[in-house]
Amino acid sequence: MLIDRSHRGWIIGCLVVLAAATAIYVPYVRHALNGPSGGSAVGLTFGVVGFALMIFAGALGARRKVPTWQIGRGTFWMRGHIWLGLLSFPLILFHGGFRLGGPLTAVLMILFGIVIVSGILGVLLQQVMPRLMLTRVPLETVYEQIDSIVLQLRGESDELVAAACGPLLVDTPPAPAERRAGGGLVDRVGQPRSTPRAHPAPLAPTPESAVLRDAYLTEIRPFLDPLVHGNGVMLNPARAATLFRELRTALPPLLHNTVSELEATCDERRQLRDQKRLHHWLHGWLLVHIPLSLALLLLGTAHAVIALRY
Amino acid sequence: MSPGAAVKLTIDGRETSVAPGTTIFDAARGLGIEIPTLCHAQHQTPVGVCRVCTVEVKNNRVLAAACVRPAEDGMIVATATDGVQRARRTLVELLLSDHPSPCARQRATGDCELERLGAGYAVTTPRFGHHDASRGRDESSFFIAVDHTACILCDRCIRGCSEVKNNFVIGRTGKGHQAGIAFDTDVPMAASTCVGCGECMVSCPTGALTNRKIVDVDPPAGEEMSAEQLQKLDIFKRMSGTFLDLNRGAVVRRRFEPGEIICREGDFGSTAFYILSGKVQVSLATPMGHSSTRRGQPGGGKGFFRKLTELVLSDATPAPAAAAPRYIPIDASVDLELSNPVAELGAGDLFGEMTCLSFYPRSATVRAVEETEVLEMLRNVLQMLQKDKVFKALLDRRYRERALDTHLRTVPIFNTLSQDFVRRLRDRVELVRFEPGQVICRQGEQADSLYLIRIGFVKVSQAFPGGDMVLRYLTRPDYFGEIGLLGGEGVRTSTCTSLDHVEAVRIKAEDFHLMLREFPDIQTRLAEVAQARLEADAKQRQTVGTVQLDDFLSQGLMEAQNLLVIDLERCTRCDQCVRACAAAHDGVTRLVRDGLRYDKFLVATSCRSCRDPLCMVGCPVGSIRRHPDSLEIIIEDWCIGCGLCANQCPYGNINLHPFMVNAEDPEQPGMRKAVVREKATTCDLSRDYSEPACVYACPHDALHRIEPLKFFGIAK
Repeated sequence: MLIDRSHRGWIIGCLVVLAAATAIYVPYVRHALNGPSGGSAVGLTFGVVGFALMIFAGALGARRKVPTWQIGRGTFWMRGHIWLGLLSFPLILFHGGFRLGGPLTAVLMILFGIVIVSGILGVLLQQVMPRLMLTRVPLETVYEQIDSIVLQLRGESDELVAAACGPLLVDTPPAPAERRAGGGLVDRVGQPRSTPRAHPAPLAPTPESAVLRDAYLTEIRPFLDPLVHGNGVMLNPARAATLFRELRTALPPLLHNTVSELEATCDERRQLRDQKRLHHWLHGWLLVHIPLSLALLLLGTAHAVIALRY
Repeated sequence: MSPGAAVKLTIDGRETSVAPGTTIFDAARGLGIEIPTLCHAQHQTPVGVCRVCTVEVKNNRVLAAACVRPAEDGMIVATATDGVQRARRTLVELLLSDHPSPCARQRATGDCELERLGAGYAVTTPRFGHHDASRGRDESSFFIAVDHTACILCDRCIRGCSEVKNNFVIGRTGKGHQAGIAFDTDVPMAASTCVGCGECMVSCPTGALTNRKIVDVDPPAGEEMSAEQLQKLDIFKRMSGTFLDLNRGAVVRRRFEPGEIICREGDFGSTAFYILSGKVQVSLATPMGHSSTRRGQPGGGKGFFRKLTELVLSDATPAPAAAAPRYIPIDASVDLELSNPVAELGAGDLFGEMTCLSFYPRSATVRAVEETEVLEMLRNVLQMLQKDKVFKALLDRRYRERALDTHLRTVPIFNTLSQDFVRRLRDRVELVRFEPGQVICRQGEQADSLYLIRIGFVKVSQAFPGGDMVLRYLTRPDYFGEIGLLGGEGVRTSTCTSLDHVEAVRIKAEDFHLMLREFPDIQTRLAEVAQARLEADAKQRQTVGTVQLDDFLSQGLMEAQNLLVIDLERCTRCDQCVRACAAAHDGVTRLVRDGLRYDKFLVATSCRSCRDPLCMVGCPVGSIRRHPDSLEIIIEDWCIGCGLCANQCPYGNINLHPFMVNAEDPEQPGMRKAVVREKATTCDLSRDYSEPACVYACPHDALHRIEPLKFFGIAK
């Protein structure tokens, strides 16, 4: 979520509550005979309020499972999740008096710390990653379709090179028909809409086309495999540009269009690869945040039951 | 005489009164007086070139051509005086002197209109001699032979080609004796842009354009019928034998046993059916299966929990229900009741016209109830039938008797008309047909009628600086022409053009005003609708005028009323919007998070509620329409899943989704089994909720439903 002016109310509200909690906590610590304790009335109050806020923050996951329930807009829940979740941390610290306590509470505090840090990391990533994706991946598509689109790109490139150099004698499994990346773009000069290419017309064979064929089979085609991730030359835009420039020098003008098409295809492939990478960054932190949050809530509940019962 | 009042005249001593603009020829025909003619055909614009229809008008210095001379008040006409007959005979003699008698047509079928007329006037040897010089033949076409010598320059082929078929291939060329018809730039027929529709051949009164061999059509399967057999049937007995011979195989006789299916809803075809005997049942299977269309609906405890929570938690404010239609329009002379979409047709009924003429999918399933015999025909035959005034009158009568009432009731504004008034209207309305592209009424013209659309689609457009702008598409149960009739000046405010073969009920201005006088509530409601339409038009004009058209046009956004826009700087690609959409629509999402981009915004693939909703054009059962109280496009329950709307939507915003329905097992008659059917779905703005589910669920404030004007304000 992008943190902007619309969060001002939440930030001020949380700061006011934090200030009030601090105003209660400081005299409480000063006057407590045995130091602050989670079992005291004030400590327990901090604990209850803090845990309640944690539960609210955790309820976001449940809320997302029932998106049509009219129990508040998605934005309300997300803002609440961020700011109340953040607020719960100092309250829980007040509850424990800034001490780790026994083994269970120590684990709880460590978990809580990781959850908070991963959450903050997530918020930070959400500030940056969508913008990066917007600028770096103009041909962005639906994430789940990336692999099949890469297969499409490879199939088209095979056809293109075969039309220029003769049969490639490689296995080309039929690519699933998917919507192509990008949809359509406006105000982005030089980055036109990515559309499936028409079947190319065969070109007259030339002796130099062997160069293109070799470069395609050794450098370009492996890069267009959705399962292969590392390829030094094509991955680096500068090195890729050099390769294509060399190809243009070596090949007759008749084949320059083919080279340009391949260059554009590789650029699209690179963008889709970037999209995948950015997507992993954008959502990867959730692999830590969500399970640990669940564990935190579970252990927190156990801690509450044990503490109140015994 | 007040403008618009009937014209009174006397023809051969008999008084008649006709509408202003009626020709003497038509006025005489109304009295049953036949005036011979060669160049005039009822479905073509009269040109008066042959002059054979010449008549005497009292106190006029010269004879007048009846086909083009409008009737005038007090006019006294004589159609068969000696002078008139002499003039006609001379004309026929002159024409015959330049005609190779017997011509090819006369030799083949004996029905050359000129030679028949000559025989009628006992012209054996023309007084003016005979021109033997040939003007040439064109046999380049595989199926039409052109004999320029037999051409009498009546222009019927030219009008048939241009006015009837809109092909504009044939024209006039040359001067004097070398004057003749020409194809395109006077090239051989085979080298021209002629599409071989045969209209010129059918229009030609002589042997100038004749059939060389049978047209290569894909005839329907069944018992082929000869021209003689067909002409023994009532509906074909007035049709030209030449035409029927030419189109042998285009009409077949088919017999069906009880229970046998004649055509199935959603199938594509190109034929119409005329019932000769027996009875058929017309039904729609799809709506009956709709109650089970919900997908992803959890059952058991989960379903119960969901229902319970929805009941307790949901403060959804359902949108006001659309004015519930009671009838489903289909491609036949009856409508189907929504609650029980079954009807019967019997001998003399015609069905499948829209499929035949405009290649729309079949709108219903038709099965024989008893032993049934039908004639299945191709388009050229159906079109000829429709030109036959007797057959048309028969269809009109059937329509008036069986469907006019329900048709009027399907138009919400007219559903309060009393039975008495409908009965009175029944005898006064006219069922009119329009060819594709025909202008029904033109902006600025005097308004003289209200039209209720029965079949087909009508485009409403307005002249606008820089070109015409489409305001809306109309189809049944829409109507048009009311604004002009209600307005003080009484002129048309927009141009209405038929998009395909349109059939409409025409209510004349005087009946319309009578209706308003008798039913003032209808006047109020009509005025409200007219006002709303005018305001919408004005808003649209303003939109186009104030926003940079380039921006709109570049992405087709000019037509949108409501865009689903994603701010890609905010969107974390969590797909919560897609999930919410699926949850709100029984597990099937109507939103794809991909589409056109405008700067940092993505215009998602989701219905835009276009101003010019092309998706609505062509629906064979009229199940896609705009919500009457708001702007979203809704697809009604009785969608038959033909996919036409999905194909028509230029933005890919309509999808077909499969669902299970309990239908009859074709392999085991009488048994039913679960089969997969498809229905079209599109964004309905989550009309059961207070706002679109996707927008409501987005946790990042990235998704907005927004008017294009506002959107461009933001984007800039």
